[in-house]
Amino acid sequence: MKKVYLHPLPIRVWHWINALGFIVLIITGAQIRFVDSMKLMSFETAVDIHSWFGFVLLGNYFIWLLYYLLTGKLFKIYIPPFWKPVEFIKKSIRQARYYGYGIMVGDKNPHHPTPDNKFNPMQQISYLMIMVLLIPLQIITGLVLWDPILFSSLANFMGGIQVATLIHTGLWIFFSAFIIVHFYLATLGHTPMAHIKAMFTGYEEEHEDH
Amino acid sequence: MRAILIGTLVIICFFVSYLLPLKEAVSQDVKSCLKCHSIKTLHKKTETGETLSLFIDNAKYEKSVHGALDCSSCHPNINLKNHPKPRKILSKNDYVKEFSPNCLNCHPKDALMKPPVHGTIVKKGDIHCSQCHGSHYIGSIKDWKNKVSFSEYCMSCHKFDISKTLPSKEKISLRVNEQEIKKSVHGKFQCLVCHDDFSKVKHPVYNFKDKKQYTAEMTKICTKCHTDKELQKNPAHYALTKTASCIECHGYHGVKPAKIAKSLPENQYCLSCHSRAISMKFKNGEKLSVQVKESEILNSAHKKLKCTECHREFSITQHPIRNFESIAEYRKLAKDMCKNCHQDAVKKYDTSIHAAALKRGNQQSPECLKCHGYHNVTFISKDKIASSELCIRCHTDSGKAFKESVHQLAIKQGKQNAPNCSSCHNSHDVLSTNMAKLGDSCIKCHKEAKTTHMKWLWNPPVRLSTFVDTHFNSASCAACHTKNEKAVLLMLIDRSKNKPLQAEEVAKALNFDTKTLKTKIDTNGDGKVQEQELWQFMSQVKEKFKANLAARIDVLNPNDAHRIETKDKSIKDCVYCHNPKAAFKSKLEINKEGEKSLKFDLDSKALNSAYAIPNIKDFYVLGLTKIKVLDILFFLALLGGIAFPVAHITLRVLTAPIRRKRREGK
Repeated sequence: MKKVYLHPLPIRVWHWINALGFIVLIITGAQIRFVDSMKLMSFETAVDIHSWFGFVLLGNYFIWLLYYLLTGKLFKIYIPPFWKPVEFIKKSIRQARYYGYGIMVGDKNPHHPTPDNKFNPMQQISYLMIMVLLIPLQIITGLVLWDPILFSSLANFMGGIQVATLIHTGLWIFFSAFIIVHFYLATLGHTPMAHIKAMFTGYEEEHEDH
Repeated sequence: MRAILIGTLVIICFFVSYLLPLKEAVSQDVKSCLKCHSIKTLHKKTETGETLSLFIDNAKYEKSVHGALDCSSCHPNINLKNHPKPRKILSKNDYVKEFSPNCLNCHPKDALMKPPVHGTIVKKGDIHCSQCHGSHYIGSIKDWKNKVSFSEYCMSCHKFDISKTLPSKEKISLRVNEQEIKKSVHGKFQCLVCHDDFSKVKHPVYNFKDKKQYTAEMTKICTKCHTDKELQKNPAHYALTKTASCIECHGYHGVKPAKIAKSLPENQYCLSCHSRAISMKFKNGEKLSVQVKESEILNSAHKKLKCTECHREFSITQHPIRNFESIAEYRKLAKDMCKNCHQDAVKKYDTSIHAAALKRGNQQSPECLKCHGYHNVTFISKDKIASSELCIRCHTDSGKAFKESVHQLAIKQGKQNAPNCSSCHNSHDVLSTNMAKLGDSCIKCHKEAKTTHMKWLWNPPVRLSTFVDTHFNSASCAACHTKNEKAVLLMLIDRSKNKPLQAEEVAKALNFDTKTLKTKIDTNGDGKVQEQELWQFMSQVKEKFKANLAARIDVLNPNDAHRIETKDKSIKDCVYCHNPKAAFKSKLEINKEGEKSLKFDLDSKALNSAYAIPNIKDFYVLGLTKIKVLDILFFLALLGGIAFPVAHITLRVLTAPIRRKRREGK
């Protein structure tokens, strides 16, 4: 059994805060939207929690960003090798084939994570989009909805508060689905808890035969 | 023969003896009455305290037409057996009223009714016989008629308070004040000089249908002497004769001198005519009183002004005659008159909704005069309730709502800063609600409003005034501070200019008449703008303008905005608005320059439509205006999110034997 140190402490802290924040924000977001039919908490409480957690995640995002900027690993880990597009596409197809077929027939996971290359091509492209585009977009639109006058210039830039709301709600829908799939994918290690444990300990276990 | 003579003598003696006692009896009756009634001081006090003289001058009585009659002829109920007896008489008039019917014993009513005017008086019964003819010393009417002057003859009746009711139900007094005539320029005239169709033997009866006709006919009398040619000598006066009857300025009998001393102080000179009930006629038939009450001027803010300081084209020597189409046209001039001194106020007024409405032809809309009066020009009262009443005269519903508000309560409590109408709507530059930025008006007094709202209306983690502004911008103060029905009002704007689009410019750009705007929007004519109709209309407007819809939550009925509740009754529950089930109506509002905006009922579904995103760009209320199709997407995404692992796990379970075999094979 080989152990690879994949998740440094700041990233683990960021991840779990992010995870909790996402869940809370998705639920309170639903409570705000479905105030007439969902009775988990009052509208005011939901708005308060949503606002607090929004700012927690805003700060948390900077933990992630600063860590990867300061360590210089952002490029290595998150940016797909766009200079080798054919190879990247091939790898992506191979990875998708693994999840869709190989995993069923007992193939090996084609990707072997290392600290400098921890994401498989599908993860890499997904997390790049999420971390560099979607989360910032959700934060910015969240700020517009948090105080539309204070961030009116942002709202106007986007084309009005309706557009900001549309983006924020659209991403809420996406993240709601994503987090379920993300949790399921996290159980696809060599044991169902392998990836999850790794996110606590930082060490990803890998069978020698893998 | 002798026997015949004796018999004849006896018969004659009998007749003579019969006649003698009769004559004696009459004389005895009067004499016996006069035993007492010849006492000059004999009198009786009536219940009302009047002195009723009971003295009869026998010499005068004997000369009267009734001198040969004894007292009982007219006083049949009195004889020596029952008189005197204590008796209460209420008043002289009461006694006259009681006694006069005795005259009818000899003068039958039919005969008295024959002369038409006399007949009318008898029929009416307001004036009794003795009031005109006297009681004991009644002379011969024929002799009296011959002796008296014409005027005395007329006045014998017209001194009384007699009147005539015309078919129009108007009542005209026929009483003539003799003293008034004597003091007038016609003081030496006999009545018949003017009323030449009347004489001592002729009293025509005219049936004027109304006072106007009566006045016109009476005026004709004047022109007998004061001919048209003579009147033309003074053009101003001549022109006036075409708009007012002689009587209106000069009166009936107390005719004032035609020439008014020009040495009079100017205001007095003008008032010589204008203190009378004169009026001005307009081409459209309207009539306006030009009577000026001196007391009103003296109590007005203009008490120190001369008439000509406002009426600049008039003077003691100049009285231009003007012909106006209508009162409205005449009233428009007043503003120019006021502008001479009150430039700022008029300038502000010109920007007001009132000025625009008047310009548009709304006759109810006020100009200077409607609020400040004509000659009783007043400073608008500092009494807040009284000055509000001025607005409430027209804006009754708003007034009613205001009277139920916390603001009215504050006025009643004497709070110095309590607002009235002008505090929010301004006084001269009165603006309509959608133009007046009423939120600003509220904050003008409630300066602490933002801070107060920030105590509870904030989003963690920071209290920001901008968050309060967000709410202030998208909901009117009345939306939370009244209990009345609310609505989301969508107003058509030009987003590039951030200004309301005017109905006129929209209609012009789309090439139709403003009046048909409603039919162009509500194409199916069901009285409500459906979602599809709104977006169709918006797409048309967007071809011509950078159009969009600005929105706000407000009271459905603008009058209710005046019914502001006390602070403890205001709405603080976020879910009141942030709720998909909030029962708010919707309205589409299109501005009209200087007028109340056009409002159309709108199907609220439009707010939750995906089309709202490009068309209502700057308005979003959590819950209330959410795009419902996104809810469906959310549930589909959740379903997809769950379906993927479920499907994947299922496939993994199904393929487990393959993996096992492969492992075993290894």
